[in-house]
Amino acid sequence: MSNPARPRTVATTGPIGTAAVLDDRRIAAAALASLDGMYPRTLRRLWETWNDPLDVTAAIMSGRAASVLAGGRRDHERLIRGWRSTLDLAVAEARLRARNTHVYVAGTDEFPFESELEQGPVVLFGEGARADALHRPRVGIVGTRAATPHGIDDARELGAALASAGVTVVSGLAIGIDAAAHHGALEASGTAIGVLGTGLDVVYPRRHGRLHQQVREHGLLISEYRLGTGPHPARFPLRNRIIAALSDILVVVEATQTGGALITAGDAARYGRAVCAYPGSRRNPSARGTNELLREGTHIVVDPDDVLLLLGITSGSRRFPGGPDAEPVTPEERAVLRALGGEPATVDEITARTGLAPGPAAVATAALVRSGRIRRAHGLLWPT
Amino acid sequence: MLATVASSTLLGVDGHRVDVEVHVSGGLPGYTVVGLPDAAGRESRERVRAALLSSGMAWPLKRITVNLSPATVRKSGAGLELAIALGLLVSESELPEDCVAGVGVLGELGLDGTIRPVPGTLILADALFRDGVETVIVPPVNAHEAALVRGLVVRSAPDIASLRACLKGEEPWPDLDPPAPPLVSLDAEPMDLAEVRGLTTARLALEISAAGGHHLLLTGPPGCGKTMLARRLQTILPPLDPDEALEVTRIASVCDGEPPHELASARPFRAPHHTSTTPALVGGGAGRPRPGEVSRAHRGVLFLDELGEFPPIALNALRQPLEEGAVRIARQGASLTFPASVLLIACTNPCPCGRVAVDCRCSEAQKARYARRLSAPLLDRFDLRQRITGPAASDRAGEDSATVAARVAEAVARQRHRFRASPWRWNREIPAGMMEHYAAMSPDGLDAWMLVVEDGMLTGRGAGRVRRVARTVADLANSPVVEGEHIILAASLRQDVS
Repeated sequence: MSNPARPRTVATTGPIGTAAVLDDRRIAAAALASLDGMYPRTLRRLWETWNDPLDVTAAIMSGRAASVLAGGRRDHERLIRGWRSTLDLAVAEARLRARNTHVYVAGTDEFPFESELEQGPVVLFGEGARADALHRPRVGIVGTRAATPHGIDDARELGAALASAGVTVVSGLAIGIDAAAHHGALEASGTAIGVLGTGLDVVYPRRHGRLHQQVREHGLLISEYRLGTGPHPARFPLRNRIIAALSDILVVVEATQTGGALITAGDAARYGRAVCAYPGSRRNPSARGTNELLREGTHIVVDPDDVLLLLGITSGSRRFPGGPDAEPVTPEERAVLRALGGEPATVDEITARTGLAPGPAAVATAALVRSGRIRRAHGLLWPT
Repeated sequence: MLATVASSTLLGVDGHRVDVEVHVSGGLPGYTVVGLPDAAGRESRERVRAALLSSGMAWPLKRITVNLSPATVRKSGAGLELAIALGLLVSESELPEDCVAGVGVLGELGLDGTIRPVPGTLILADALFRDGVETVIVPPVNAHEAALVRGLVVRSAPDIASLRACLKGEEPWPDLDPPAPPLVSLDAEPMDLAEVRGLTTARLALEISAAGGHHLLLTGPPGCGKTMLARRLQTILPPLDPDEALEVTRIASVCDGEPPHELASARPFRAPHHTSTTPALVGGGAGRPRPGEVSRAHRGVLFLDELGEFPPIALNALRQPLEEGAVRIARQGASLTFPASVLLIACTNPCPCGRVAVDCRCSEAQKARYARRLSAPLLDRFDLRQRITGPAASDRAGEDSATVAARVAEAVARQRHRFRASPWRWNREIPAGMMEHYAAMSPDGLDAWMLVVEDGMLTGRGAGRVRRVARTVADLANSPVVEGEHIILAASLRQDVS
């Protein structure tokens, strides 16, 4: 790549999946999307004039493209000059073959969504063992990175429920809700699509190296950026519009009032996708965004089946009955669960509400943690 | 003519007897000090000469050689000057030889002949006493301090002229000055645990910490009461026993500041600022190695507020002293040991913004960077780790310090009885090999223990610490064996801070 500052997060991965179909249009589209300074918006602008990658290529080589760019890019002449000297279909083809990268071109049958979406992408790169993930019903699961343990549980449960019903789970491989949704889908041996805000060979965030690899091996990674593109704050909101576009239904599990998940929900609404949200406690700042969505009339999800029903799929029986198997054993344990009342609380609050001495309270809490009824996180106790 | 006067010098926080030999002979007038004096010792010539001259005595125009024996021990400070001066007077026959026989002499001289205080007089006098010296002559300011050594006869005179008169028997020894009234410290604002509202679990952790000497880490958002609670630890600690009081006073005697007039009555509470350097914290430093904060807190509390802001190097240097209860400092020619048996209590924020759980708006990278400041081995030293969340409306005032201190004192008394035939004092110090002996568990306790270990609630090293804390919980509950409830309570008080 010509990108001088390669990010530290490049994953070294070889070709994967069934051989990608490559024809001249796909190769031309990939070559265009890999040009220096070719932003998604720029490419879309050229596309709207010539409507075909081969024609766009010709327009660049002949210099006609300059007039189209003149409105939006002040440096258009320099750009075109640079593109004419670097546009090389043979190099683009070799690069695609080396990693077996799929190219999805707007206007063709295999492009996963409508080509005419407002500011939608026109070229997408894809890598992964399950290119067929695009042919199934697709549900996007998004949410805040500052997820509570409850939010993580909900996203994981929903991801697993959808995946085992044959639905592809779409998310963004981010920390928090995104990762939990992917994990849920993978644990249920389902398919997942991870939409990246970086090149397909870049792992971000770094700690998700393993998840990145798993989605690649059991699903599909999608990006509109050329290989080697590093993380940049501006690219993640743009990535969100692809998640929205890819999703037949978008579910927001937990969202803060200012987070990127609300941007995704807005994109999905603009694109005419159904949006659903989980309700949360009014005391939970990580649920303020979702509660706001619900107030505005978004579909409410209180059970994974609600999403399946919206897709027109019934799960037959409830495979995810909430609630643990056995009843609490001791009166102290019952008292602690009652004192929690479904919401997180500190140990001090528990002892104050139950009136238990510290010793018995600790014994009851430890037993509840052991049986999986409550969990410790962030210095609080969370009922599951 | 030769004269020998006994004195002593400081090596760390130990005294070392030094015999000051003064030899005056004919020859070219001159003054030489041999025997590893430091710069202050070499300067003694000017002070001794001026002091003698201004006190109406003669400076012999002869060849004077002063030998500080043993020659291999490095001598520090000016505390040997009075001994040199007396040695000169004896060798010039200004004083009879027998009036300094068996007498230890400590003191620095002013140019006008006054006898000035010497740091560490308690330790120096004690070293002389242990070496068979029964009488010491010390500076008036240090007289009460030296008198803390039981059995030692302490003499003192304000200047060298009156000292000579007393030694010759021309004047009676002056009475010791009454001790100066203790300074009122600004730190000594009255505090009581009753002022802390809520924080039930953290208060419990504080009580267990005081009762078993367990290191305590409080994590929580700014303003949640961590520091307020931590400062009140000193109000519930058990009183010093006489041996401990002597140890505390000895260290206070070496350190700069007002010399102690009586045995320490309260456990020290040291709260160094987070900009403190490593030598300031653990001891050492250029020139005479001095005890650091961790030694000045010996038998008391070392309080590190904003633990995450301390330089990691300084914190890691604290690990070994915390484990061994002593700081070892190797110097060319000498290896020093400073006692440092402290109860460490520390406060820190969970992340740079310090807000609770879901309100936190720090990036993952920021949190990771902040967490890295506290190394896992250091966190492991904390037997008790409490996460404090914000105050709640339902918070009520808790028990007062006297009530808690009474329970702590009882638990401590049980430990003292248990450890009566061993070198340990606190449950914190029970060695891994003696756990079965000192922290025996009931069958119920063993079950709980297995559960706690299997649950992965702790690491292997953490497991031993939980058991020691459980022993303290049992002591507070007056239980001869450790029950399951004690184990589980102890484990739940050692939370992950992240």
